[in-house]
This record gives sequence, C-alpha cells and structure tokens, in this order.
Amino acid sequence: MTMTSENVTISSESQHPRKLRSRASSVRWARRREVMREVLRNPLTVIGVVIITLFLLMAAMAPLLTEANQPDPYQSPRDWANIDAAPGVEGHVLGTDSTGGDVLYGIIWGSRLSLQLSLTVVISTLIIGTFVGSVAAMRGGRIDNFLMRVVDVFLAIPELIFALAIAAILGPSFRNIILALAVVFWVKYARIIRGEIIRVKQTDYVAAARVVGDSTWNVYRKDVLPNAVTPLVVQATLDMGNVVLIGAALSYIGLAQAGLTEWGAMVSAGQSGILAGQWWVSTFAGVAILLWALAFNLVGDGLRDALDPKTEGR
Amino acid sequence: MSITEQQLGNGQPATTSKSDVMTLRDVTVHYPVKEGVLQRVTGAVRAVDGVDLSIPRGQTLGLVGESGCGKTTLGRVIAGLVPATGGDIWFDLDETAKAQMERLRSVPEKSMSAEDKTIWSHLEANHRLGSMTRERQRVYRRNCQFVFQDAFASLNPRQLVRDIVGRPLRVYHEASGEDLDLKVINLLERVGLGPQHLLRYPHQFSGGQRQRISIARALALNPEFVVLDEPTSALDVSVQAQILNLLVELQEDLGLTYLFITHDLGVVQHMSDYLAVMYLGRIAEIGPTAEVFHDPLHPYTKVLRDSNPSLEGDELDHSAHLRLTGTVPNPIDPPQGCRLHPRCPVSTSECGWQVDDMFLSLETSTPASFEAISRVERSSPFAAQLVMDDDVAALELFTEIQNSRSPFGGAVENIELDGANVSIRLREVEEIPLIPVAPGRMSSCLLAGRPDGIRPPAESR
Repeated sequence: MTMTSENVTISSESQHPRKLRSRASSVRWARRREVMREVLRNPLTVIGVVIITLFLLMAAMAPLLTEANQPDPYQSPRDWANIDAAPGVEGHVLGTDSTGGDVLYGIIWGSRLSLQLSLTVVISTLIIGTFVGSVAAMRGGRIDNFLMRVVDVFLAIPELIFALAIAAILGPSFRNIILALAVVFWVKYARIIRGEIIRVKQTDYVAAARVVGDSTWNVYRKDVLPNAVTPLVVQATLDMGNVVLIGAALSYIGLAQAGLTEWGAMVSAGQSGILAGQWWVSTFAGVAILLWALAFNLVGDGLRDALDPKTEGR
Repeated sequence: MSITEQQLGNGQPATTSKSDVMTLRDVTVHYPVKEGVLQRVTGAVRAVDGVDLSIPRGQTLGLVGESGCGKTTLGRVIAGLVPATGGDIWFDLDETAKAQMERLRSVPEKSMSAEDKTIWSHLEANHRLGSMTRERQRVYRRNCQFVFQDAFASLNPRQLVRDIVGRPLRVYHEASGEDLDLKVINLLERVGLGPQHLLRYPHQFSGGQRQRISIARALALNPEFVVLDEPTSALDVSVQAQILNLLVELQEDLGLTYLFITHDLGVVQHMSDYLAVMYLGRIAEIGPTAEVFHDPLHPYTKVLRDSNPSLEGDELDHSAHLRLTGTVPNPIDPPQGCRLHPRCPVSTSECGWQVDDMFLSLETSTPASFEAISRVERSSPFAAQLVMDDDVAALELFTEIQNSRSPFGGAVENIELDGANVSIRLREVEEIPLIPVAPGRMSSCLLAGRPDGIRPPAESR
C-alpha cells in the first residue's frame, strides 16, 4: 500500500503509547504551524501583521515611551506654553492641539484605548453571538425561529445609527461606547455561526458521531464547533478593525469624554484648526485609525483566503 | 439468545442462533413537502413506503436498487440515523420473541389479555426502536454501526485517526490513556493499517485507507451488525476488491451481520447471502442471492440483472432481455397497485392501471383523441369522466378504449358514452404486498406465483 502525502514521520520508538500523548499534541501543533505558514504566504497579510504588532508594542510600552499623565493617563498632558504647536516643535514631535495636548502622546495612549475597545467588544460579542447562534442551530424549531427573528430586528438597523442611538441614550462616556458596540455587533456572529452549524450538522462525520452514540454536547464540542468557527474567526478579525472605526465615529461626534486620548475624539478636536492650517492633529489621529482598520482588514482577508473550506484540507 | 450488555463487556461474541438482528414491519419514511408562505404540508415524499424485512444474524443481506429508490434512507433508518415515520423496527428478536411479535402486532392493545399485555410491553421495552429502555438503547447503539459511502466526509477533518477510531471506546468508557492507544492500534492492524497511521489527519490518506479507518471505527465496539452504505462505490476497482475482501474476512472472523447497500450487482453477488431488490420505496423481491440472480421472480429484478454488463460475453440470451420504458415516477405520488406497472414490460390488466396511465398510453397511441379531451373530472385514481370537444371525438375515444389491446384496456371495468362525455372506471387494485412464492423467496409481482411466470405475455420459450 502506498502512502499518499508528506506525512509527519513517526520514529519507531515513539510508537510506545506513553509517548503518543505528547506526539499527538506536537502533530496538532505542526498542523497549526502549517496553517499559519499558509496564512503568512500572502505579503499583504504580513504587512497587516507587522502593523498590528507595532500597535501592540506601542500599547504595551506606552508608559515607557511617554511619561504617563497624572492622575488620568488617558488625558493628554497640557502644555499651555505650546498651544497649536506644529510638528517638530521642541518636545512635541507631532505637534499639539488647541489645548496644548501632545498629539504623539494621544496616539500612543489612544492605541491602548483602541485595543481595549476592540478586544472587549469582539470577545464579548463573540461569546454572546456564538452562544445564541449555537442554541438556535442545535435546538432548531421554535427557539431557532424566535432567536433569528430577534437577530433580524437588530440587523435591520444600520450598525452606526444603532450604536449611536444606544450610546446617546446611555450618555457620553467611553464605557458606554463599548457597551453600545457590544449590543450591536453580536448579531452578526449569531447569524454566521448558526448557518455554519446547520451546514456542519448535515455532514456524515456528525452522523457518524451519532451512530456511535456520543452525547449532543460532545458532538457539538468535538465535531460541530471546530468545523464551524473558521468564518467566525475571519469576521472577528475584520471586526477588530471595524469596531475601532465605528467607535472613532461615535467619539468624533462627541460621545466620548472631552479630552480623551481616543483617536476619534482627537480627530474631532483637531477639526476646528484645519482651516487655520493646523492640519496635524486630525491627520495624525486619522492616520492611526486608518492604519489600525487597514491592518486588521488585511489580516482578516488573508485568513479568509487561507482558511477557505474549498482550499482547506488538501 | 439475546445480547446482554454483560456478554459484550466480556468481549464474547453473542451466541449465534436462528434469529434476526433487525426485523422491519411496514416501515415508512415520509418527508413532508411544504409549500407557500405558511409552509403548509401539501404532500410527502415517500422515500421508504411500507418495507418488511428481516436481517438474519451472521448473514449478509444485500439491498440493491437504482438511485432514489430509498435504499440509503432505509439503511439510515435501521441504523437509527433517521426516524421512521411509520411501522416498527425490532432489534435482536429471537424466534420466540419474533413469533410473539407477529402474533400481537396486529392486536389492538385494548383487546389483549393481561398476559399478552405483559409480553407486549416486554417486547416494546427490549426490542423496539423508539420505545426501548435506555439500557437497551445503549446495547442497540453499540451493536449497530454504520459505514458511510464517502469515507472522507464521514471522518472529522480536524481529528487525528487516533481520536476518530478511539472515540467509540471513549464514549462507552471502554478504554482510556495508553490502553486506548493500544486498542486503536489493534483495530488499525485489523483493517490493514498500522501504528504509524495513528497520528495523521484524514486528508493524509488515500480513499481506500480512509474507508479502512471508518471500518475500524465501526468495529471498535465489537458490534454485531454493520450497515454498509455503498462502502466501495467511491473507490477504484482494484481498491474496491481489497475493501470487499477485508469486509468478508472481518465477517468470518467476528461473526458480523451485514446490511450491504449497493447499486452494483456484481459486488452484491460476491458479498451477500440474501438479496433484497428495492424499487420506489418498496421491496420488489427478496431471496437467496444465487436464486434471485438465476431465476428472478420480479420483472424489475430481471431488468436489473439483464442490464448489468457482463465480462463473460453472451452467455445470456439477449433477445429475452426485458427493458423498462419511461422514467422512475415521482415518489410523492407513486403508482397504485404494483409500483412498476407503468414501466413494466410484462404488465397485465390486473397490475393497478389508473386513469393517468391511460392518458399516457393515449398520448402516444392516438394523439388525436388525446388532444380532443377538453376536461377531466377524476373521482378516484381509477375513475374519471372525460369531457370531449365534440360527440365525434367522444365516440372515437370510446371505441378506441373499448378495442384497446394494451394492458390498460383489459383493466376497463365500465365505460359509458353520453354525448360528448365518456365516463370510465378501471379495475381498482390495492398495493401489492410482498408474498412468499417459493421456499425462502418473496416477490411483490402478481405473476410470480403463476405457472407462466414473469414472461412477456405474447411470447413463450
């Protein structure tokens, strides 16, 4: 009998059962590395990963790069001597805004806020969406019908408008922006995972698990979910960017606290100076938003291409 | 002897005796057809429509039929993957229990004696799918396994072979840790694979190897009965032979019972002791394989056999070959009487001709009178009033039908002419049941028991 593919070879001594357990996990990791390599073959994805890494480093090292403002590091320190200073002025590499807030400081600490915003929103909505979508798809019938009609209602309202309405009701603060976005974003995940689960439920390997007599929970955990999450991962990656984009839009129209080092709020603050030629505040903050959203979109698209079920599992 | 969990736990094969692993009585699977915004049920696809079948222990029952005849659905029902919408499926009946079941099956529970009631509830709790106790359900689940047509699709692409094959053992807490690994290696060796395959993903195997993996999984719990749903139809011929030989070998070693579903007559001849031929959701014929092949007792079997290309050349007399006409009818509205009659080359007037069959026949034989029919009022599948364009056309149609020499002409019981109206009534025929015609052989063809047999009416050999 001939073997068909470039297999991970197992040396004879590793066939001893005691060593199988660790071998198995290393085979699984080898597979994951293989997928990662596949993802990183696309140069655009690599660019995205690099930008994201830089942002993460920036966020992690914010207190080292700049001296944290007391008592609230997420308010720019005011340099009243240098109001509306152009980039390059002593001590202000990217200039200052109309209240003497340092733009570079705002961008660095703003990356922390963006990360907080996108991670909180995406993780919480992933959990809620996966739960709702899974219940709907696994139970089916009336429960499915009811949950999906709720999802339909949410989807009928444009994301930005919906989030705006909720944030406006809750009152202007960064926490409320997070809350508003979480309320809006879970429906997409519920919809996606439901469709995927319904597809996977019809496969023969799920039938095979049922013939064996495994419990519904185990079938869900071992067969259904692992084979249904791929589109969810792609969507979540794209949303890491989208959330910041919409969050910035909300704080731009004034739903974040005044003076917050949030990129959207900074664009808004710098806007009044643009006509007077003070372009730097809005521009640099805007570029930060753009790069963030672009990077996650590049990686998300790369993931989609690499993990597409049609090309997967050759 | 019936199987108990204890016996299996000891790994002993269940005692073989003259008993059925599975017994089906009047099993139906109807899928509702929904229409419109309100999703009203307007009909049903009769995928399986009244099947009686016994699967004898330790034997292979072949189930053949063309695509869409319901053979896969039937296999899935038996394996518990699809619920039956009607009828009973019995598991593990010995001779006494089967006799009791047959005796009490048609008796309404109200009119049973107290003793019979106890027997019946015992049967229901221990042997009938859907009403078995949890414990018995476990026994059934362990003893009835399934091998899918597409091995690749039946293996979770994200699991290692070790986890796929070891899974049944985990579910029943048969083994864990090192013990599990050793058992999985044993199973793999049993199907011709080895320990080196343990830590691979399904996509790293060839088609034949994948089918071996899924066979290993099916055997993990040492089952008694395996449903094989076209296990080789997706494979190359050479690999096919390997898998078939493996299956035969395993059956001999482990005393397995197979339900072998296929559309390949060559394979089924090689594999099975008994053969059931299915057509449009019903069993057409059943009997020992060699006899069914040698002397078919249903025209459909004969057609299937004769259409099977043979490498041995012209040993069969081609001139006596039967051919079907037309295509398979819609399973939403299957023909009355014998399901094959509209296509059957040897049909008689008793086969269940309906008004719609008559139209089909008229359309080809006398298109002019067919065109002249302006309205049809059906009162049943067998009776209708035809309103013709004019009196002349009506008279033409009337004489046409009266003088018809086709089988449906013989089925006309009453035909009346009244101006432009022709009312016609055909012989009403019930669904033809599977009846024993020879020792061990059953057929649902009316002609099977008659001296002339199932030959074209005009010719005789």
